Amino acid sequence: MSTATKNTTVIQTPICTSCNRTIPPGAEATRFDCPNCGEIIIWRCQKCRQFGRKYKCPKCGFMGP
Amino acid sequence: MSDKIDISKKESNPEKSLQEESDEEILDTDDEEELLLPRDTLLSAGIHIGTRMRTKDMDNFIYRVRPDGLFVLDVKKTDERIRIAAKFLSRFEPARIAVVAARLYARYPAKKFCEVTKATPIVGRFVPGLFSNPLYSNRLEPAVIIVSDPKADAQAVEEAGIMGIPVIALCSTDNEFTGVDFVIPTNNKGRRALAIIYWMFARQVLREREELAPDKDIDLSIDDFEAKISRVEM
Repeated sequence: MSTATKNTTVIQTPICTSCNRTIPPGAEATRFDCPNCGEIIIWRCQKCRQFGRKYKCPKCGFMGP
Repeated sequence: MSDKIDISKKESNPEKSLQEESDEEILDTDDEEELLLPRDTLLSAGIHIGTRMRTKDMDNFIYRVRPDGLFVLDVKKTDERIRIAAKFLSRFEPARIAVVAARLYARYPAKKFCEVTKATPIVGRFVPGLFSNPLYSNRLEPAVIIVSDPKADAQAVEEAGIMGIPVIALCSTDNEFTGVDFVIPTNNKGRRALAIIYWMFARQVLREREELAPDKDIDLSIDDFEAKISRVEM
């Protein structure tokens, strides 16, 4: 094992459900369970919320907002 | 033959107004589906009546345009959205649900809604920083907020965005989806319409929480949710 691997921490950044872009830590994003099924976590980045972009639950197919 | 029948039908009701005709058209469609309240009650309160303005965002919820220029909302979609929103709210702790109402006629039904569902009411002026200022002593940290009109409650919607709080909004045909995560299409200006929407919503939330049987109603009536008109004597 190299020293570089030892000191590295892997962070899983969330992905916006609407635009599929990664949401950097500290960004003004919203996170909530799918209103319909409640099994999938929906992430919406600041821009998608601002522009009112649609999101779709990958499990139940619910379309919001 | 069919033409003759149509003509006779039209001649039988010559005094019918445009509004009655348009309401009947809505009544005729989708009779099989069960709504949370009878269709007549919903239509008489005017929960389907929008404004003369329509936004692109609200296109999906608009049923038709009336000859007088008013856009009409789809009652079925309103009903469907209330059911989903209630399901969504039932997953949150009651005290962490905040209901924001700046609009005069929305204040009273919002308060009643909170009384029934044990949510937190924020009526009247929304103090800036109520959600986002950590130095403000009366700061609230709700898990979800309901706004009566995203245009009138713009400050609450903005602060919810900063804090990452999901927003449920009652939207009419003239509203945009900026900062809104879940839309309930309805008339958000009428006194009776707001009372019915909040009453239906409260009842459905209790049913989803299993605090109320699916065939039972809440103790308060729709009239109890309706804002009273106060007359100032000169």
